[in-house]
Amino acid sequence: MHPILARLERLGSYLALWCAVGVFESAALTRQGLTWPEALVQVLPPLLVYSFICLSAWYVCRATPLATSGVPRVLTAALVAAWIGAALWLALSEAWLATLESMPELAPITDRFRAQIPFLFAVSVMLYLLVLSVHYVVLSFEAFRTAERQQLELQVLTRDAELRALRAQVDPHFLYNCLNSISALTGSDAAAARRMCLLLAEFLRTTLRVSTQQSITMAEELSLAERYLSIEQVRFGARLQVERSIDDSALECQVPPLVLQPLLENAVGHGIAGMIDGGTIRLDVVRRGDRVSITVENPRDPDAMPRKRGGVGLENVRKRLAVVFAGAARLEAAAGPDGFRVAVDLPFTIHA
Amino acid sequence: MPEPSSLPPRPSSLTLRVAVVDDEPLARAVLCEFLAAEPNVEVVAQCANGFEAVKAVSELTPDLLLLDVQMPKLNGFEVLDLVGRDVAVVFTTAYDQYALKAFEVHAVDYLLKPIAADRLSEALARVRERLGRGERSASPGAIAAAKPQEGPVHRVLVRDGPRVHVIAVDKIDYVQAQDDYVCFRSEGKDYLKEQTLGDVEASLDPKVFVRIHRSYLLNLSRLVRVDQDERENRVAVLTDGRRLPVSRSGYTRLNSLL
Repeated sequence: MHPILARLERLGSYLALWCAVGVFESAALTRQGLTWPEALVQVLPPLLVYSFICLSAWYVCRATPLATSGVPRVLTAALVAAWIGAALWLALSEAWLATLESMPELAPITDRFRAQIPFLFAVSVMLYLLVLSVHYVVLSFEAFRTAERQQLELQVLTRDAELRALRAQVDPHFLYNCLNSISALTGSDAAAARRMCLLLAEFLRTTLRVSTQQSITMAEELSLAERYLSIEQVRFGARLQVERSIDDSALECQVPPLVLQPLLENAVGHGIAGMIDGGTIRLDVVRRGDRVSITVENPRDPDAMPRKRGGVGLENVRKRLAVVFAGAARLEAAAGPDGFRVAVDLPFTIHA
Repeated sequence: MPEPSSLPPRPSSLTLRVAVVDDEPLARAVLCEFLAAEPNVEVVAQCANGFEAVKAVSELTPDLLLLDVQMPKLNGFEVLDLVGRDVAVVFTTAYDQYALKAFEVHAVDYLLKPIAADRLSEALARVRERLGRGERSASPGAIAAAKPQEGPVHRVLVRDGPRVHVIAVDKIDYVQAQDDYVCFRSEGKDYLKEQTLGDVEASLDPKVFVRIHRSYLLNLSRLVRVDQDERENRVAVLTDGRRLPVSRSGYTRLNSLL
């Protein structure tokens, strides 16, 4: 929709401007001997019609946007449109004045008009070009506003996605159980309760921070994993044991954030939590040349219901690896009768 | 007789004997701490899993189980299924999605973790009120009916006093109705459970277990052949040589599956 025609108050101001131009022109005519009514009735109607002709500039602007059209194209389009518009206006004025000739009391200015056609034509072209440039300004202003709004919307969406990712990463029930542990410790061991609060805060802060990043170092991912395991060890006590074997040469490797975290969460939630006496989670990080592999192994209750391909957490990791590495990374999950093993194999890359 | 003296003794004046069941030591600790501050409450047992809980119910006959839902081996609902008629149950869990199911199986209350002391007091008051009315939890049928429709069960739990037998479904040869009980035949042993054969049939995979007779539910993989005896009655012959009667409609069902 035309930005000026669409809103009544805009159309009003636009026409008021044209009336001002008309009054200005009539004033010039009164100095040449016409009365005000004579001048106005001869000038204003064609001028107001021309104001509407000039609105066609909007479509010219739309057809030749500044951003994508070259300067010659814009100039050609503008001049051609202005020329047609001005010619149309001259023809209309001519017709209007011819009509007025039938009324001699209006002291027709037809002869003077004809004498000034080249000048009037030039003025009309200038007016048209002026309106055209105003339209370009309006257009770019609107484009700017739209871009600004889209930027804001994008920010909101990004934030939203981050939060959703976080919610997917941090199981709320993990939080509730943690808080229950803290509540328990407050009564018996205040120092331990405080330690748990700090651990949890650190864990959440780090999770939130890294979840917005494209990639982090293996060292960072491992330290996040350690925080998580420390919290779970407070909950599960001696039931949760962890054995690690970390290859120092892999620590600098860039990995997608929270790639290891869901594997450990599964190992605890679906493995250790289901065993009366608990068990040991094995975490191995190995570098072989330009490949790095992360392996998480956990025992599980052989009587427990079989898991369906490792659940949502594992599926998310698999998808993210596919997006980030486009086939250059693999996730393999293997369920044995009394254990579960997940191996992630990805290229060794360090931050440039 | 004046009104007050006609009332039964106030239940809150009786000591409530409680067993706390949770696989996390700290979760048990916070409940015990809160219970210690309650008047007329005695913690008679702390159990780290469902087996211990069933044992405690049999040996110590508590009035109330504070029962975690997510535990190794036996979850809270399975424990309720096994002991629900002998003890009042209040669930404690971080998960709110089980609440509806909990009340369907007539749990007295449902406490969300982190546990709030005043919510626990409220739950205890409800337990006293319900015990005062002499009410117990739901019948096994109601519990079975309230089980989520997540497909057939993988195992059957049978309580034998303080012990719990966990029978894998593929180890069951057949199930036989015996009055108010059903008898699961598995690996040469019989396990009695108070349940109807219809409920058992509904909980098992209909492609594996066939109602061959009013009183028999047969694991198809145990069937060798169907014979006719001298009186023209059909008989199912099992892999171990055992013979079970097959009714006319049972034979039709068998044929439609074979």
